[in-house]
Amino acid sequence: MKASRSILAVLLATSFSTVAVAADVVKIAITGPFSGGSAPMGVSMRDGAKLAISQINQSGGINVGGRKMKIELIERDDEGKNDRGALVAQEISSMSDISAVIGTVNTGVAVMGDKYYVEKGIVKIITPAAGSASMTQWSKAGVKDLPIFRFASHDGIQAHMVVEKALKLGFTNVAILHDATNYGVSGRDDLIEQISKQGGKLKVVSVEKFAIGDKDMTGQLIKAKAAGAQAILIWGIGPELAAVASGKEKLGFKVPMIGGWTLSMSNFIDTSGASGNGALMPQTFIEDESIARARPFIQAYHKAYSVARIPSPVSAAQGYDAALLLAEAIHEAGSTNPSKIKFSLENLKTTVKGAIADWKKPWSKWNPSNVETHEAFRRATTVMGKVQNGRVVLADPSEKFVLEGIAVK
Amino acid sequence: MFTGVDLGLRENTAERIVRIVLFIALGALPAFWHGQYALGLLTLMAVYGVLLIGLDATVGYLGQVNLAQAALFGLGAYASALAVQAGAYFPLALLAGIIAALLPGAALALPALRLEGPQFALSTLSFATLSVIVLNESETITHGALGLSIVRPSLFTVALDARGFYWLCLVLLFMSWWVSQILLKSRFGLSIEALRDSPTATDALGIGTLRHKVLAFAWGSALAGLAGALHALNFGYLQPAAFGYDLMVMLLLGVVFGGRRSQWGAFAGAAVVAMLPNLLSNRTLFSGLVSSGCVLTLVPILRSLISRRVPAFKEAAPAVAMAVALALSLFASNVEEWRKGIFALFLFAAVVGLPDGLAGAFASALHRLIRFTPDPLPPATGGIRSAGISVSKPLQVFKLSKSFGGVRAVDNVSLDIGQNEILGLIGPNGSGKTTFINLVSGLYAPDSGSVEIAGTRPLPGSLMSAFSAGAARTFQNLQPFSGLTALESILVCQHDGGKSEAMGWLRMVALEEKARQRCSELSYGDLRFLEIARALATRPRLLMLDEPAAGMSKPDIARLVDLIASIKCAGVPILLIEHHQDVVAELCDRVAVMDGGRLIALGTSAQVRRNPKVIEAYLGADEEQTSVQGTSEPQLC
Amino acid sequence: MIILDAKYIALAQMAVGGGLMGMAYALVAYGFQLTYAAGKAVNFGQGELVMLGAFAGISLAGTGLPYWVSVLGAMVAGAVLGWFVERVAVRLALKQHNEGWILLTIIVGLFALSSVENIWGRDDRPFPAPWPAGALDFFGISVTWPELAIAMGAMGIMTLVELAKRYTMAGIAVQAVSADPEAAELCGVRSRSAISLSWAVSGAAAAFAGTVIGPVTTVGPTMAAALTLKAFSVAVVAGLDSGFGLVIAGIALGAVENLSGYVLGSGWREAPGLILLILALALRPQGVFGKKIIRKV
Repeated sequence: MKASRSILAVLLATSFSTVAVAADVVKIAITGPFSGGSAPMGVSMRDGAKLAISQINQSGGINVGGRKMKIELIERDDEGKNDRGALVAQEISSMSDISAVIGTVNTGVAVMGDKYYVEKGIVKIITPAAGSASMTQWSKAGVKDLPIFRFASHDGIQAHMVVEKALKLGFTNVAILHDATNYGVSGRDDLIEQISKQGGKLKVVSVEKFAIGDKDMTGQLIKAKAAGAQAILIWGIGPELAAVASGKEKLGFKVPMIGGWTLSMSNFIDTSGASGNGALMPQTFIEDESIARARPFIQAYHKAYSVARIPSPVSAAQGYDAALLLAEAIHEAGSTNPSKIKFSLENLKTTVKGAIADWKKPWSKWNPSNVETHEAFRRATTVMGKVQNGRVVLADPSEKFVLEGIAVK
Repeated sequence: MFTGVDLGLRENTAERIVRIVLFIALGALPAFWHGQYALGLLTLMAVYGVLLIGLDATVGYLGQVNLAQAALFGLGAYASALAVQAGAYFPLALLAGIIAALLPGAALALPALRLEGPQFALSTLSFATLSVIVLNESETITHGALGLSIVRPSLFTVALDARGFYWLCLVLLFMSWWVSQILLKSRFGLSIEALRDSPTATDALGIGTLRHKVLAFAWGSALAGLAGALHALNFGYLQPAAFGYDLMVMLLLGVVFGGRRSQWGAFAGAAVVAMLPNLLSNRTLFSGLVSSGCVLTLVPILRSLISRRVPAFKEAAPAVAMAVALALSLFASNVEEWRKGIFALFLFAAVVGLPDGLAGAFASALHRLIRFTPDPLPPATGGIRSAGISVSKPLQVFKLSKSFGGVRAVDNVSLDIGQNEILGLIGPNGSGKTTFINLVSGLYAPDSGSVEIAGTRPLPGSLMSAFSAGAARTFQNLQPFSGLTALESILVCQHDGGKSEAMGWLRMVALEEKARQRCSELSYGDLRFLEIARALATRPRLLMLDEPAAGMSKPDIARLVDLIASIKCAGVPILLIEHHQDVVAELCDRVAVMDGGRLIALGTSAQVRRNPKVIEAYLGADEEQTSVQGTSEPQLC
Repeated sequence: MIILDAKYIALAQMAVGGGLMGMAYALVAYGFQLTYAAGKAVNFGQGELVMLGAFAGISLAGTGLPYWVSVLGAMVAGAVLGWFVERVAVRLALKQHNEGWILLTIIVGLFALSSVENIWGRDDRPFPAPWPAGALDFFGISVTWPELAIAMGAMGIMTLVELAKRYTMAGIAVQAVSADPEAAELCGVRSRSAISLSWAVSGAAAAFAGTVIGPVTTVGPTMAAALTLKAFSVAVVAGLDSGFGLVIAGIALGAVENLSGYVLGSGWREAPGLILLILALALRPQGVFGKKIIRKV
């Protein structure tokens, strides 16, 4: 598998031919955690985006003002660490003629690093994640003209769906478990906010925290069990989520885990094994070849990377669609200049057919008092997924229509 | 043979010139190397420079594996960030950082006193881990894992942009460097090296391990705190996890790779640690570096092959390590991901092949090319005439006892030494002579009994206390300050006076010519004499010599006897443990004999020799009458 | 039958779980003891050896070998690696009578970590073990089979090695070298071989520890550093020549950690253990069960 990946790397590299004259390429950077606990998301996003880009390059490149330009990629691993993310952002923003950046999984990285892009006016599409704080930081700062766009599900949407699901399943007492990072803490806050909006139908009997790297969740689970929790609402990432699942198993605490979309990460599913079955999470994309829209993308990804399962399907699909949207914006801008690309992104004329949905003008002119102007996803595009026998499937098969050809906006 | 170009410069002056040129170049660099990113790297390098110079104080000079520096760096960073949040001005924020690291850092010296290498490393590691935990969990103050953001305040109403901040860091680095150099090349620095080579001798000669360790740790930690403050003001965002074990290992290895006991080395290490991630992303540059490293490591192997020897591990291992690094740089699909491994390989090559690091290797190469004018040595003054302070009762021991487990090493021994007297202490091996001297000098605390030196009762078990009372000693197993020169060994012990007085002490033991030689290069006999000179330089009220003639050649023994005689004549009372009976007979006014921990005889040399108990236990019958003449006490002065 | 208050059961649960894990620390610490006794050096990269043992076990199991064979294979790999570390990182420093082995073992450990990250990836992996899923119930306290395996495995290995030390020629030779290397050499025992042997056994013990810890905590590059510190704490608190005192210290540290995490919050779990360690070092540097060292000049 490693050998074929190297061959693929070489193939992809040649399709981003650097032998071409500098003026004939569009430089795009992809950054994210390619190592560490968040790696499945970062790697999948990168590979999804690269798939889209290599397809574009193989057909000759982007038509920019009459000239065909290929996309040249620069990749940087931020390791999911904030200070590394800042360094990476500094490095990229100091490179000449970078048009755009796709990336970021970790909220802290976006908070620390994106200011360098804003300073230089470089366009960035945040995908597959980075919490809402990555965008609200700009409305708080009152920035008038923003080159940062978000292409990921809203944390607020996720929390709403999780709470809704818990109520639908008939639970009255729940425990909240979350990790100590920006992601986990803001997830907890979102959950509590959504629960209070439901007006006391759901009672939070226990709130427990864990740290990245914790392997033994027995303490937190004992407390939740003792408080009488019927379900665990959880916000964390792969390895720790798996530890919660196996801890539950050990204590014979058979309650479902409902939480953020990170429950779809391959490292959660693989590590928890059977104890992870039944976990529920919001998804904007399900790796299910029976969904017509998704099939070509899934098959292309499996073939290009020689895998039977995408490590983080949502990340891959979002990376793919983000790259397609960016390419379209560059085409419509007729230039590699970041501020023109930004304008195009805010005023996309053509509908882009992506793996997730048909995107019709997903973003509009930035308005500091309305973050939604630079957010692409709405509730309507999200479904609940469920972990089952090593894969993520639709929790409610009747929601399949959501993922089939609907136009957004 | 090429002995080097003579520039007519002293090494200190040359170094100073080069250092000033370096800093001017560094200051001017942003004009040529544009961009935020480059400036960010340079600032990082400057901050790490301060941090590593501080780390070198404990790891390099003291020789203790200090794993707390990264945590102290973090504490300094957080303290100054919190100060800024509370509205403090720039200089106050720096001060807050320094103090927050200085206090716990200095306290670390205390475990350093009692603990050996690995245990000490562990205690610093525990402290470091605890600090990170506290920073992480004190969420109301530090925001824990979410991180703390601050806005950089202006420096005296001047808002610093990136370039200005860089220059500030350079200035502070220069000052840290300068002060460190002064501190560590002064007598303070000599003391630290002395205590590293022999903590026992350092305490026994009154230099004091505690105060020097505390000061060394304090200085190193203060610099860590300063670097931390600069780091906080540079990045504007802090997270506790960044100051953990990963960073510590990088810092440690940076100091070692750059070169220990050298500010230049610390700076080189800082440059490497700051630049490494970027070096790795530029594959051509990196392969070039590794290839040159490979070639360099091949040199010692070739040398040994030419002299038809099989290369030793020390020569072969660095080459193997660099070859692996080269292979990785050429064939690994993503060199960046091997960052830690490559750093490890470089370090391995450096620690094994270049024990003095880059700076040390560079310095030795430099010394082969350039001959520096040595520091002038003043003529010798002083010496034996002003050796000691005369007291009426130099030593009074009353019923001293000490047991180790079931063994009574010293059993109810009472004796005293009078003014201007040489008292010999003889007996078979294991009779307790060395234990006795160890009790008197304060290495052990007695189980019972008392010791009075020059009328003072020192604290039992305290070498420093016995020294303050006036005792000085030499050791049966030599305790030289191997890293110091002969002259420096005297300077560090000297009670008063400067270089010329120190030369005087050396002249007394005929080591004047070897003043600039390192103790590690001196002969066994020379070291024995140096130990005596060292002890005398402290102007003791009581001199204790533990088998000074052991292993010496005949001519040296004759010199030794003359020396001891002249010491006595200068008024210093002596306790002499010896096996050489001719020496004892020639020198000692009285002789005490120990056997099995007990004092079995006390009298003149002649009396003791005739004592049947002594003969039975130690001397044997008949033999002694012929070789040594005389029944009266020796007349030396 | 006495029905205990749920709160006490919870505390007991935490203590038992922690104590069982602590046996793993004791086993790794045992490796420290072996090498310290022989050559007065310890492997600061011992955690990396544990990690490598675990990964070796995973890879071997991945080729279809039965569990026990994989574990044995991992131990063999550990022995080889232990021998390698001594040869490359320790021997030179010992010959030069300095403490360069501290840095060199750290460096070798760093290289091992980087290699693992690149060969096996940076993610945590589950360790396949044939234990039945679910937990056993002792008076309301749940104990999983992997946790029990840690305790039994650790005791088993330590007992085996102690027996070997006493009743085989090789073991007695190693003890002689530990007591006085020069005297042993005079009797015809090659101290170099004895030291190598103790490092190999230490490596095998570390690898075994990896195969029993893996099923409980998952295996990943991050497991190494934390383990080294904890095992080292156990070794030093018990005393580097304390024999089975390690087991007591290990169980105590594991239990204290778990209880602290439960009572104070997961972030604080290591804190009391560390404070106790610092106190122990301050009050009894030779270790709780160790022998006092007498300075000789």
